[in-house]
Amino acid sequence: MFFCQAFAQNRTVTGTVTGKDDGLGIPGATVKVKGTQNGTQTNTAGKYTISVPDGAVLEFSFIGYLPVQLTVQGDVLNAVLTPATNELNEVVVTANDIKRDKRTLGYSAPIVNSKELTEGGNPSALTSLTGLVAGVNITSTSNTPGSSTRIVLRGGSSITGNNQALLVVDGVPIDNSSIIGGASSLTAVDFGNRGNDIDPNDIASITVLKGPAAAALYGSRASNGALMITTKSGAKNGKKLEITLNSTNTFSSVLKLPTFQNEYGQGFMSGSATSPGYVTGINDASDNFSWGAPFTGKVEPWGQDINGVTQSKPYSALPNNIKDFFKTGFAADNNVGISSGDEKNNFYLGLNSLNSDGIFPGSNDDTYDKYGVRFNGKATLANNFTASINFNYNKIQANTPSGGQGANSIWNNLMQTPRDIPINTMGNLNNPYNGYNSVNDTYGFYGAFTVNPYYILQNFSNLDDVNRVTGAFNLAWKPVKWLNIVERVGVDSYSDRRKLIAPKYQFEPADESGSNLWGPIVNNGSYEVDQINVNEVVHDLMVTATHDFGKDFHASLLLGNNIRERSVNSNFTSTNTSGGLVVPGFYNLENSNGPVDVITDNISIQRLVGFYADLNLSYKDYLFLEGTLRNDRSSTLPLDNYSYYYPSVSGSFVFSELLKNTGIANVLSYGKLRASFAQVGSDTNPYELTTTYGKTTVSGSFGNTTFPFGNVPAYQIGSVLGNAELKPEQTSSFEIGTELAFLQSRLSFDFSYYVNDSKNQILAIPIPNSTGYSSSEVNAGEIQNKGIELTINGTPIQTSDFTWTIFGTFTKNRSDVLSLPNGVSQITIGGFGGMAEVAAKGLPYGEFYGITNQKDAQGRTIINPATGQPIPTTSAQYLGSYEPKFQTSLGTNFKYKNFALNVLFDVKHGGVLYSDTKALTDFVGTGIETGGPRYGQPFPNSVTVDAAGKSTPNTTIPYSVYNYYTSVEPVGMNVIDASYIKMRSASISYTFSKTQLRSLPFGALTIGLFGNNLFLWTPKSNAYVDPEVNSSGAGNEQGLDFAANPSVRNYGINLKVSF
Amino acid sequence: MTKKYKLNLKQALFIGLVAAAGFSGCKKYLDTNQNPNNPASVEPSLLLPTTQAALSQVVGNSFQVFGNIWAQYWTQSPLASQYKTMDQYASVGTDFDGPWRNLYTVALVNADLIISNPTSSANLKGIAYLMKAYGFQLATDAFGDVPLSQALQPTKYTNPKYDSQQAVYDSVFVYINRAIPLLNATNSLNPGAQDMIFQGNMAQWVAFANTLELRAYLRLAIEDPATAQAGIKALYATNPNFLTADATITYIPTGGNQNPFYNEEVALGGTQNVVASSTAVNAFNKNSDPRLQQFYVIYNNPAQDSLESIPQGSYLAFNQKIVSTPSPLVGARAIDPTSATAPVKLISAAESSFLQAEAVARGWATGDVPTLYKAGIAASFAATGAGDPTAYINTAPDGILALNAAVSVNDKVKAIITQKYYAMCGFQGFEAWTEWRRTGYPTFFVQSAASIIAAGQMPLRMLYPNSELTSNLSYPGTVPIYKPVGWGLANP
Repeated sequence: MFFCQAFAQNRTVTGTVTGKDDGLGIPGATVKVKGTQNGTQTNTAGKYTISVPDGAVLEFSFIGYLPVQLTVQGDVLNAVLTPATNELNEVVVTANDIKRDKRTLGYSAPIVNSKELTEGGNPSALTSLTGLVAGVNITSTSNTPGSSTRIVLRGGSSITGNNQALLVVDGVPIDNSSIIGGASSLTAVDFGNRGNDIDPNDIASITVLKGPAAAALYGSRASNGALMITTKSGAKNGKKLEITLNSTNTFSSVLKLPTFQNEYGQGFMSGSATSPGYVTGINDASDNFSWGAPFTGKVEPWGQDINGVTQSKPYSALPNNIKDFFKTGFAADNNVGISSGDEKNNFYLGLNSLNSDGIFPGSNDDTYDKYGVRFNGKATLANNFTASINFNYNKIQANTPSGGQGANSIWNNLMQTPRDIPINTMGNLNNPYNGYNSVNDTYGFYGAFTVNPYYILQNFSNLDDVNRVTGAFNLAWKPVKWLNIVERVGVDSYSDRRKLIAPKYQFEPADESGSNLWGPIVNNGSYEVDQINVNEVVHDLMVTATHDFGKDFHASLLLGNNIRERSVNSNFTSTNTSGGLVVPGFYNLENSNGPVDVITDNISIQRLVGFYADLNLSYKDYLFLEGTLRNDRSSTLPLDNYSYYYPSVSGSFVFSELLKNTGIANVLSYGKLRASFAQVGSDTNPYELTTTYGKTTVSGSFGNTTFPFGNVPAYQIGSVLGNAELKPEQTSSFEIGTELAFLQSRLSFDFSYYVNDSKNQILAIPIPNSTGYSSSEVNAGEIQNKGIELTINGTPIQTSDFTWTIFGTFTKNRSDVLSLPNGVSQITIGGFGGMAEVAAKGLPYGEFYGITNQKDAQGRTIINPATGQPIPTTSAQYLGSYEPKFQTSLGTNFKYKNFALNVLFDVKHGGVLYSDTKALTDFVGTGIETGGPRYGQPFPNSVTVDAAGKSTPNTTIPYSVYNYYTSVEPVGMNVIDASYIKMRSASISYTFSKTQLRSLPFGALTIGLFGNNLFLWTPKSNAYVDPEVNSSGAGNEQGLDFAANPSVRNYGINLKVSF
Repeated sequence: MTKKYKLNLKQALFIGLVAAAGFSGCKKYLDTNQNPNNPASVEPSLLLPTTQAALSQVVGNSFQVFGNIWAQYWTQSPLASQYKTMDQYASVGTDFDGPWRNLYTVALVNADLIISNPTSSANLKGIAYLMKAYGFQLATDAFGDVPLSQALQPTKYTNPKYDSQQAVYDSVFVYINRAIPLLNATNSLNPGAQDMIFQGNMAQWVAFANTLELRAYLRLAIEDPATAQAGIKALYATNPNFLTADATITYIPTGGNQNPFYNEEVALGGTQNVVASSTAVNAFNKNSDPRLQQFYVIYNNPAQDSLESIPQGSYLAFNQKIVSTPSPLVGARAIDPTSATAPVKLISAAESSFLQAEAVARGWATGDVPTLYKAGIAASFAATGAGDPTAYINTAPDGILALNAAVSVNDKVKAIITQKYYAMCGFQGFEAWTEWRRTGYPTFFVQSAASIIAAGQMPLRMLYPNSELTSNLSYPGTVPIYKPVGWGLANP
């Protein structure tokens, strides 16, 4: 540097580089003399000093801002950088942590930065992406800390395999398993998906690589696209320590409850079998039905008679009895970021804690606590070596209430509470009318068929304890200018230990009246320990050579080797399923009444060795071409057939460069065309090549015969027929798109059209059970996803004090199951006995399939003239897919001086869900549909059909609403429209200016109010649930509301301080 | 600079060497796909309990509920909802996915693997043949035409065709006749405790084979009397022994080893889904049958102990919520843990006597009908612990009086099947419903109050499972629930 200065000394220029957005100095901005290597960086205040020849041109640049060139005139030169809101000139992180200029990419790769990600205050980085990027379908279930988020790019490409995007943190893929707790999605505990472990505060940016083109270098697992997450690196502002404190306090409340009827109270309806006139509501103090008499308002006794005393209350509706059961949840999310260093050596240390107590009452029964440490450090060593390390440790401890239909489901229980029962006041279990007396083993609670939900909350638990380490070290060597060698070893290792606790009890009713309405309530109790260990080690060696051919041609070639190993150990053990516990209240496997049940004891190891090449060519600044080729060898495929190749090619043409000096440039500031074609080969899961034996379990519908039976052992042949001839899967994708910016980038568009085709899928296809097996591993089946994506950014107003920007996305994806193996009409991907979710030939992915009411050609319900009741279809029907027809989002930001306001809406239109909330509230007579007259009306919009098939509108034959909802209604009638509009996030913040902070020790200070998942609008046909809730987490089984816990809205206050 | 460059080359060579070494070791490194969780082969005797437990699961759980409800011993409880569709006759294909899967992918395929394994002993193979015969008869009795000739050969036939019921019955007889010499083999290794039904008692298995053959031929007695008569005559020509004890797995209270229906009830949270149907209860009452209180639980009411039943399928209309439940003796009282040890009777001793009685009554076998008839009733009384059957036999209207009054063969068969119906209450619901479909006896069935099918129609078959509809190109089409199977009466 000294030498350089000595040669070039002419004039010393100083100045400040500020951001146009906030007027604050930009630390670490690059200041370079054009056409030379001479340059410097701004200090913490954004100030710089440089010696330059007179009349030189200085280039000012900083990531996220448009570069500016200014000519030196005088000793002071200040630069104002405009944020690159249109994201056209950003640096994107592509496969293997390779940073590329966005203009060179032949595929869509939107970036979301830290600010956008954390604005809504959502503790899930994945959920925070909702509405920000076109082509991404995010489903966030209950939206509570630690709950599941499913993220699918451009529709699912796999029929039965994973369809979620690969998550890559700093170049290392991380595990995103979603293993629900409980026996099935019908009794689910949402333990979340592991991709949500990452703290959004640690993230610098997320690049969304949507198609396989973008991810060709990742191979197999990236056929569904990838999210390239870059975590924060050290400050490059000199040696000074920078400390950032981010503190968020969040309140939560239920977003949507079912709409209840408020006309009828506890009881059932009476009638006779031969004349189905269930006309009279009969009150019954023990019932969980709300099919009783209409409310009278008269004070009447209710519940059990204890020692000759019965409680009394007015017989009238309590419209808020369920709503008021829930409390306001609270979460404190604190993050400290400490960073220091310069361009050569720097570090970032992030410390996080998130302590949440959810909406269920009580203080220890609905909690999620997460602690995290992240250390990212980089050191530039002698001899052109650079070493860096990323390390992250997370500890999570949670207690999650179950959803679903089990005895431990609070929500299931609440929905069944009759409309006149003050359940929200029954939390004191010492009150004999609410509680359970363990001294004399009696209960005084009103319900003979339900258990007090407060009791459930306090006595059942689903505990989760996760310890996770992820990280990588990188060693880079640049022996000569044109060669760069990088070695990276990454690891993701975690232990997820769960304890599922159900108490043992047997309570007799306290009521001694002899009415025999009350029955005993019994539970044998259980204790289950689920241990999941996942270890993944990844190695990458990448050698990159670059060369300039003359002035205009530039080439770079990357050769790489990738080795990875993934091992999963899962061990689920419980006390004896039928016998339960011996000693109540003691939770240990030793306390099993009968042999301990080994539910799963499974080891799997899978290895992959890959070699890849990536050639990049560019001509001038506007023509770019990339070609990749990869070879993978997978341990999961037959050894003779374990190696496979796949290529990709993509190109980008920045045509606006050619128009630079024409009048068009005044209007069109940037224009790019891009196209890509890619293939991705895919391996499969371990151990699919052979048919093996397993210990025998003969399953009934719910119970099982297990072995050893007494002392008799038994084995059975596996039900899946292995296949030693499996070949790799193939996904191919084609994409074209354009990026256009107009009027100095005040208005920009990004548009893509794509077709993804996944063939030769490795599937366990269902085969007729009459073959002796249930399924067979084959290469078959084809899914096609076609769609368009549009992103629009606009800045209608931009003055020095006021900026208004709007942006929107539109996504339309259609997935079609094009083919299945001969004879197979559908493959079940989820659901339950009467309501399957299937991939059916010729239909979109994720169709619901079940019995529904028969309709005539005009869509009117056909009834049985004898009973007035609808006639069910004789076989299951396809009832629509959970995939939305389109998604769109609209966001806007206002900035006025120090104030900033952001609002984001997102919309999913089309798609259906199965709502057991509807089925259940209708069944018990609490649902809105069961309100109004309960007898005497004809079924709405119904007809009778005569022998000749002629429909006659039915205006006279009445039906019993009670009979319909408790007995006749087929399961398909609970498939409802899943469309919604959500106010996804909103925030308002105030950032103090430098001058305001002068007397304070802060470098920066921002305070704000924020909210996420704030408001929800659903079609009239969905009076039941937030369509995003899902009972089976983030897997392919979506749109299944099986009494899933209600979702929440979050709102709070955020404080961000740096020192 | 020169020095630096050399170092670079050396290192590059070194890296190249390491990479080459890695390359050659690649195949070995990737050879990790041997399943560590499941064995590739096992001793064939380990498959026998699987086959037996699977048949017992079908007979004792799914078919047990359908059978007992459709034979009108039980009906859906007004306090629960699990089996409403059975009482509505609104069952659909998916309801039968489970039992079909247990028959083909557990019972039959593992029986076949025993038979095809060269290391299986003769006795083991003999029992496996009987399990296969029993399983296929069960399948065809429930569903009519079912895959047989192309079944259980997944590499050869991915879409097994459906064989006629007659062809299935022909094979059932073939399997039984292959079994008998294998069971009689003297130098064979005995499966011992791996045989969960008779613990390796080969004499019992021969009796089981004979009784099963008699049951199978009698099933054809009305539809194809010539075959039935010839078969039974040939059987009797071998001086057969018939079962005098129940063929049953002894269930124990240990979780997972319990009576399958009770196990199901426990898994359903102990909810009592089935209660006493008035159809059966009224018939027992008409005969003052002491077995009534063994099959059902008296409801203890301070005012008066009584057995309360509701009309079949009237779960909705019923205002009173206290109904008697089936007893733990038949494994169907959800809150009584003694239900755990209830047997699942693949063939019962009482049934054996009634089968013989019918064969003799039809004139196709030698023996004394009243003696066999009384032996059947006595076996039933013994099985239920209902005391001395003499008074009942002599005085009940449906006792010996009914048999004595019978003149025609049909009337004798009516008395025999009606008594068999009483004996099978709760124990053998599927077999009782099946015999009613074959003979029309007993005659007091009513259409369920919850029926959604036309007046006069009754469930006469189980529906092909949805899994076959959606995966088998040879699926023969859905046959409605009110159509009889091959040997069945159109209007029993």
